[in-house]
Amino acid sequence: MKIILPDKSVRMLESGPALVESLLRDLGFDPVEVMVVRNGTLVTEDAIAANDDEIRIIRIAHGG
Amino acid sequence: MGTVPSATPRCSLCNEPAVFHDRVRGRHLCRDHFTSDIEARVLDTIRSRNLIVPGDHVAIALSGGKDSTALLMILARLLPSLGDVPLSAVTIDEGIHGYREDTVRSADDLVKRFGLPHTTVSFPDLFGDTLDAFLEGRETEACSVCGILRRKALNVAAERAGATKLATGHNLDDEAQSVFMNVLRGDLPRLLRDPGSDSQGMFIPRIKPLMFVSEKEIAVYLMLHGAWADLPECPYAVHALRGEVRRMLATLESKHPGTMLHLMESREKIAMWCAGTPQEEPVRECRQCGDPCSGEVCQLCQLKKRLGMIHRS
Repeated sequence: MKIILPDKSVRMLESGPALVESLLRDLGFDPVEVMVVRNGTLVTEDAIAANDDEIRIIRIAHGG
Repeated sequence: MGTVPSATPRCSLCNEPAVFHDRVRGRHLCRDHFTSDIEARVLDTIRSRNLIVPGDHVAIALSGGKDSTALLMILARLLPSLGDVPLSAVTIDEGIHGYREDTVRSADDLVKRFGLPHTTVSFPDLFGDTLDAFLEGRETEACSVCGILRRKALNVAAERAGATKLATGHNLDDEAQSVFMNVLRGDLPRLLRDPGSDSQGMFIPRIKPLMFVSEKEIAVYLMLHGAWADLPECPYAVHALRGEVRRMLATLESKHPGTMLHLMESREKIAMWCAGTPQEEPVRECRQCGDPCSGEVCQLCQLKKRLGMIHRS
């Protein structure tokens, strides 16, 4: 699984199907504070990410 | 045997792929139902509280950040339902290096796209110098200093735009944080203050149409409508009590969905119980500048003296 973090760095992860929320928590993100794009499409935190997916995590900037 | 979760949860209303999990109301929404839900809730907030009435001219306090961008897009879409009141945008350039340049550019692009009148007021124009300059050596006071100066600048800009209402992009997270902070400070008058009526006719009333829309919902709305921009956060925000309260509330909201909404409901119940009980000093005129204030001298004049701004403007 290719994970693109908010700072644009990339992390490769060998994983079976996993809840997006679990992935986020393992990586130290609160689902309330980020959005997740799976293979170019916005998904909810209770969607499933598979090993061949690209997961982009977008942090929601405060203020504005 | 437990249910195997779907790779993509479906909309609770139409079975299309869900883009948002509304944990407070216990449902999933697709792009179209999410969009119509947000817009309907904003319209309901406006109507139920009479935030915008026929004859109004609404100026949007447009920083170019995510909240005010979403506010402009949503109000522009709702205008036909609101009696086609005139809409314009006002932007304050405080002079925050490495932050405000991007958002001001974003605000410019947006008003051009929507063809709205745009009034910009900068701190150097109004107060003689940038916020960065005023804050040298006093960065920990940033939010209180900026708040006082911004309040004045927004009022000047809204007056120049000819507005009768000033709409700000404060969202549910902002409002819940404010409720919590005012409780922590024991500041009942501020907890109960209604921004739409505290001016007693002396300031342009402020309205917050997004007060029941969460920060995440705003981000998702922008993402779905091609308006998401990865903009920086204000560099001074790290010094604020609000930052600590925000992290605490985000954790609570994550564990107990609805926490922020419940805080807002608490505020409304307290306000209802306190109705008719005077909580604040009557509004008077500042003896130095004539602006409305609760004491002899307004906060702005006190701040100007403290920062030595009188010699700069």
